[in-house]
Amino acid sequence: MEYNLDFHCQMILDEYRENMAIFEKMKEIVREQLEKCVSDNNIYVTAIETRIKTENSLAGKLELKGHKYKFLSDITDILGTRIITFYTEEVDKISALIDKIFEVDWENSVDKRKALDLDRFGYMSLHYICRIPKSLYYDAEHSELNDYRFEIQMRTALQHVWATMYHDTGYKSGIEVPKEHLRNMNRLAGVLELADEQFSRIRKEINDYRRNVESLVADGNFDDVNLDSDTFRSYLTMKPFKKLIDKIATINQAEIYEDNLMRYITTLLKMGFRTLGDLQRLIKECSDDAYKLALHQLSATDLDILALSVALQNLCIVYIIKKGGGEVGLRMFYDSVFGESDYNIEHARRTFEQITKINIK
Amino acid sequence: MEVNIENTGNKTFVVLNGRLDTTTADKFMQDITPLMQGDNPDIEMDCTGLEYTSSQGLRMFLMLQKSVTARKGNLVLKNMKPQVKEVFDITGFSNIIKIV
Repeated sequence: MEYNLDFHCQMILDEYRENMAIFEKMKEIVREQLEKCVSDNNIYVTAIETRIKTENSLAGKLELKGHKYKFLSDITDILGTRIITFYTEEVDKISALIDKIFEVDWENSVDKRKALDLDRFGYMSLHYICRIPKSLYYDAEHSELNDYRFEIQMRTALQHVWATMYHDTGYKSGIEVPKEHLRNMNRLAGVLELADEQFSRIRKEINDYRRNVESLVADGNFDDVNLDSDTFRSYLTMKPFKKLIDKIATINQAEIYEDNLMRYITTLLKMGFRTLGDLQRLIKECSDDAYKLALHQLSATDLDILALSVALQNLCIVYIIKKGGGEVGLRMFYDSVFGESDYNIEHARRTFEQITKINIK
Repeated sequence: MEVNIENTGNKTFVVLNGRLDTTTADKFMQDITPLMQGDNPDIEMDCTGLEYTSSQGLRMFLMLQKSVTARKGNLVLKNMKPQVKEVFDITGFSNIIKIV
C-alpha cells in the first residue's frame, strides 16, 4: 500500500516492515514476562493486551508528525501493552514490578494520573516506556530487539472504561468536540475516580475484617465472632470436629475422607447458630451423644471409610433431638443439607428410630 | 455385579445391578475405568438394581466422583434402595455424592 510520505518517513516505514519479526519476538517476550509477573505475585488483572501498531496506523502517524522522528527507534509505541487491573493499588504494584523486569526509560514515561492540572479532570493511566534488557533476552544477530522501546499502559478497569469512552467521543478525530460534552466526560471521570477509591476502601475493610476474625478465632474468642461463610472457613482450619471424627473412626478402624464442610453453613444459620461460640457449645454439649449415634449405626457394619462430615452431621442430629425437633426437624435438616427429596422422609424416620434407642442426655 | 454403560449425547447413563462388595469390586473397577478417562464427565447412575455396597464400593464411587469433579462434570446416583442409601448416610457419603 502506498502512503503520502516523504522520503525520510518512507525509510522509517520500510524499517518497520523489515523488522516485523523482531517486534513479534518482543511481543512474545513482553507478554510472557507480564503474565508470569502477575501470576507469581498473585495479582488479579482483568486483561493483559498486547498489540503491534498496524502499518496503516504507523503511516498515519508519520503523515501527521513524521518530522518528530529521526529513526524508527524514536517511536516508542510500535509495540504497545496494556494491563488492566481491578484496583488502583495494583497499578502501583505492577509498575514497581515492571521496573524490575524491564529497563524503564524514565525520561519518556509518564504518570498521566498525576500530570493533569488541578483545574482539569480526566481519568488517565500510567504509561511506561521500556526496553527489554540484555539480561532478560539477547540475540547477537538481532541486537535491535534491545534497542527498540515499547509502551506499557497500566490502568484500572474504570480508568479503561473512561479512556475508551473518551476516545469514542472523537477527541482524536480532529473535529472539535463541544466543551459541554467534554465537561460531562470530565465529571464522569471524577465519579469513576471516586468509585475506584471506594472499591479499594471496601477491599481494605473486608481484609481488615478477615484478619480481625482470624485473630479472634486464633485467640479463642469465639463468642465475639459472628458465624458466616468467612468465619466458618477460618474456624474449619482449626479442625474443630477432628476429635469427634477420630473417635467415631475407632469404631471400625475407619479411614477418614476430609470432605468440604462449607455446605453446612446455610443449615447451621437456619438452625439458629449465630456465633462460633455457639458451634463450640454444640461440640461440647453434643459430642458424646453424636458418638453414641455413630456407634449405634456403624458397630454392626464393617464400613471402614467415613467422611469428616459425619461428625458435624451427627452433632446437628443430636442438637435437633435435644431441642425437641423430632422427626420433622430431622427431615428439615436433611432437606436443607441435601436438598428436598423423598429420600429425606425415610432418612429422617430411620434416624429418629435409631436415636430414640440411645439414651440422649 | 453388572454394569451397563450407555453414552448418549452429553451424558453417560450407567445401570448398576447386583452387590458391590469385595468379591465384585475388581470387576466394578474395571467396568467404570472408562468413565474416569472419557471426555464426557456427566454421569447418571441408575442404582435401582444395586443391592448392597461395601466400603470398597464407597471408595470406588469416591474415586469416580473426584475424577468427574476434576473434569468439571457431575455424578448423580438415582433410585437407590433404602439399605444402600443408609450406607451412604451413615458414612457421610451422601454429603460427597449427589443422590436423587
